Amino acid sequence: MRISRATLLLPLLTLACGHSDGMSSGPDLVVYCSLDQDLSENIIAKFEARTGFTVETQFDVERNKTVGLVNRIIAEAKNNPRADVYWNNEIAHTLRLKDAGLTVAYQSPAADGIPAAFRDADHHWTGFAARARVILYRTDREGLVPEKLDDFLNPAYAVGGAMAQPLTGTTLTNATVLSLQRGNDAMLSWFAAAEAAGLSFGAGNADVMRRTTNGDFLWCFTDTDDAAKAIAQGHPVAVRYLEQGDGSLGVLLIPNSICILNSGKNLDAAKQFLDYILSVEVETQLAFSVAQQIPLHVGVAMPAGVQIPGQDYQVMAVDWPAVAAAISARAVAFQEAFVK
Amino acid sequence: MIAVFHGRSPRPWWSLAVGLTLLAAWLPLLPILEPLLRFDRLAHMLDARTAALLWRSTWISGLAALLAIVLGWPYALLCTRFQFPGAGLFRLLMPLPILLPPLMVAQAWFGLTGMTGPLATVFTFGVCYAPLPALLAARSLHKQAASSFESALLIAPRLAFGSLLRISFLPAMIGAGFAFLFAAADFAVPDYFATVGDLFHVYAAEIFGHSRNFDFTAGATASLPLVLLGVVILLGNAILLKRQLGYEKNSGRYATAISAGRLTLPILLFMLTIVTVLLLAPLGRVIFETGNQGPLSERTWLEVSQQAFREGIDRGRGDLMRTLGFSGLAGLLCLFLAPLWAHMLLHCKNWLRLPLVVLVSLPLLVPSVALGFGSILMFNRPWLDQFYSSSLLPALLIAGRFLPIAVFLLLDAMSRVPDSREENAALAGCSYLQRLFRYRLGTQHASLWLAAGLVVAFGVRELDFAILLPAANASAAVRYYNALHFSRDNFVAAYGLILILLLFLPVMLHGWWQSLRSSDQ
Repeated sequence: MRISRATLLLPLLTLACGHSDGMSSGPDLVVYCSLDQDLSENIIAKFEARTGFTVETQFDVERNKTVGLVNRIIAEAKNNPRADVYWNNEIAHTLRLKDAGLTVAYQSPAADGIPAAFRDADHHWTGFAARARVILYRTDREGLVPEKLDDFLNPAYAVGGAMAQPLTGTTLTNATVLSLQRGNDAMLSWFAAAEAAGLSFGAGNADVMRRTTNGDFLWCFTDTDDAAKAIAQGHPVAVRYLEQGDGSLGVLLIPNSICILNSGKNLDAAKQFLDYILSVEVETQLAFSVAQQIPLHVGVAMPAGVQIPGQDYQVMAVDWPAVAAAISARAVAFQEAFVK
Repeated sequence: MIAVFHGRSPRPWWSLAVGLTLLAAWLPLLPILEPLLRFDRLAHMLDARTAALLWRSTWISGLAALLAIVLGWPYALLCTRFQFPGAGLFRLLMPLPILLPPLMVAQAWFGLTGMTGPLATVFTFGVCYAPLPALLAARSLHKQAASSFESALLIAPRLAFGSLLRISFLPAMIGAGFAFLFAAADFAVPDYFATVGDLFHVYAAEIFGHSRNFDFTAGATASLPLVLLGVVILLGNAILLKRQLGYEKNSGRYATAISAGRLTLPILLFMLTIVTVLLLAPLGRVIFETGNQGPLSERTWLEVSQQAFREGIDRGRGDLMRTLGFSGLAGLLCLFLAPLWAHMLLHCKNWLRLPLVVLVSLPLLVPSVALGFGSILMFNRPWLDQFYSSSLLPALLIAGRFLPIAVFLLLDAMSRVPDSREENAALAGCSYLQRLFRYRLGTQHASLWLAAGLVVAFGVRELDFAILLPAANASAAVRYYNALHFSRDNFVAAYGLILILLLFLPVMLHGWWQSLRSSDQ
């Protein structure tokens, strides 16, 4: 019997054309999410189960570091805004959306208890579940581990250390914060001096963490979520908080942030979603996840060994609107300095 | 209307192909055409820093293409036209390395050897894209006219071997040209080797940075030097293809394979080495990675590996099916579109051929992130909501982006068929589609399937516009890269293996079916 190849194609065609997300009448809520898919999708699924809403979630990849979805929100808003909510794994680009007039004010009752420094005065965005910028160092090797940022400029510390290039994500935000404190040119000079002292630069936080766990470096400057993963994977590493003590700057805390977008659709569902995501329950879930994100509500349970900001270590004060206003220009300056 | 398509004229079908390509490839390009064609900024763009980046991209891609040809061409030559134990199996394995995502190969080779830096990038691209020259050369060798080869063999084996080299060199070069294009546009592999070793950058990082820091139009403008380089490579390919048209044409009977004789063992060792480098070593390492843990972990390798595969299936099954769905649909579209375009290029006026080649190729040359943003601006309209959210949009974009590869393959295949076949069919009153698919492509179905298969494989790997399109966002590539950058190495390895297995199976089955048919003949 001769079977034509076209017959063999039929299942594929059926698969391709018959695919649907089970949302033939459209979702009740469209969420764009830059937080790690593995962390966020269970939380969103729980929201669906509780409310009965169908949620269409669109994820970013770490390589884009939130900017892929932010630029997509801006592009889609030109003709037909689709997203109802944006859940960002950092903060500066959420403020960009507010500045572009794409967000809607909403004062969620669940945000009560989050410090004012992490909430928008106009209620366009709210911060929660943060990451801290820390030193991850090997405990099985001798060597100097920085206690202050300017230790990066000392070859005795710098030669065994690494940090990500300040091109994306939390490292870019961190560098922008510092450049606002020190001046742009001074910050570029600081990076040049650190490199001259022997500090290595990698492509991302997770990458320098990996190289530290592999033994290429004694320490790296990274985020607490990467540090938590390294510890959970069984590597002999520990965390150190920079800039502690009287008169010190403190540690930079970069929260997730969430906002309602002006899609003009599903506003009630969006508000319910914000109430849920900003709840103590979700912050607790993120705190006990592999990323061990730091709750901003006071008094939330934390896994053993995780330090509490403001209580166990000092936190840096940041003018987030100024960071958001400066970040694009700084990114270009850093790109020209590093991409060569 | 329907009668028009039943007629003998190709024009309605060619118009349909142009219309579909307009939808799939050219409309999304419209928003970036103006920023892309800012030639006045070219001089400003190429300062010392960016010129250094472009030069690094060029030599990395050039060496990678060279390595691809060094690995792929002899592989194709030996397993297609020489008799030795396992030749059929090696033929079957030939296309498989192209299905391995380059980033996964990079991770595997870093894990195996600790290699880093630009030369590691060259090696990875060379290994990943070696099947392109191999497959094109193999098609060419497979279709060599039996009579001329056997005559040469009777006169002197040296002559026969020379004819094998001659007939397969240009197709291998065309494959290497495509390898160059893919290597030059890739950001992920150099980025990976820069993260695990000393930092270096390529020009794709400049494009990516501009897309990220400003918007996609800035990325499109920044991509102009790479697009121009790509046009030069494709025009080179077109010239090679034109020269190829002068070669002998298939007579319908396969040429005899040469017995390896005393060279059996060296050939076998050589082939095993290449298969190990291209396929077995990276696959072995990835399998090891599924259960790899830090020294303080208390779980066994098997426990970790099993959990990684379980998670891969549980979490990623839906994404895998969606990805295979829209990539498969893109392959189907190319099964129809590519023959029409190849036939049109074969028959169009000489002055029109080069502009058409450039037009068809442009979606492959521009950054795919720009193509994604272009499609948002063109198709994200309230009255197109259903289409914008459907799997049809990523399928169309994948088809439009990778169509040039399918067209080049089929142009090469069609040029080997004597024009007289099609002319006789026309005289006998056959419709255009019968002439095209039965008489022009009747003996070239393997090329048609290879072309569609490559489109599917490249579609599955596509990440940049997958993030941007609603139906493609929940795709295997997005889940894979997400997990990769969040250090879920076990999951990444297991999920990558599941993906590869799903891609390998149809290719292996098709190869097996082909070999059965060949042995029947």
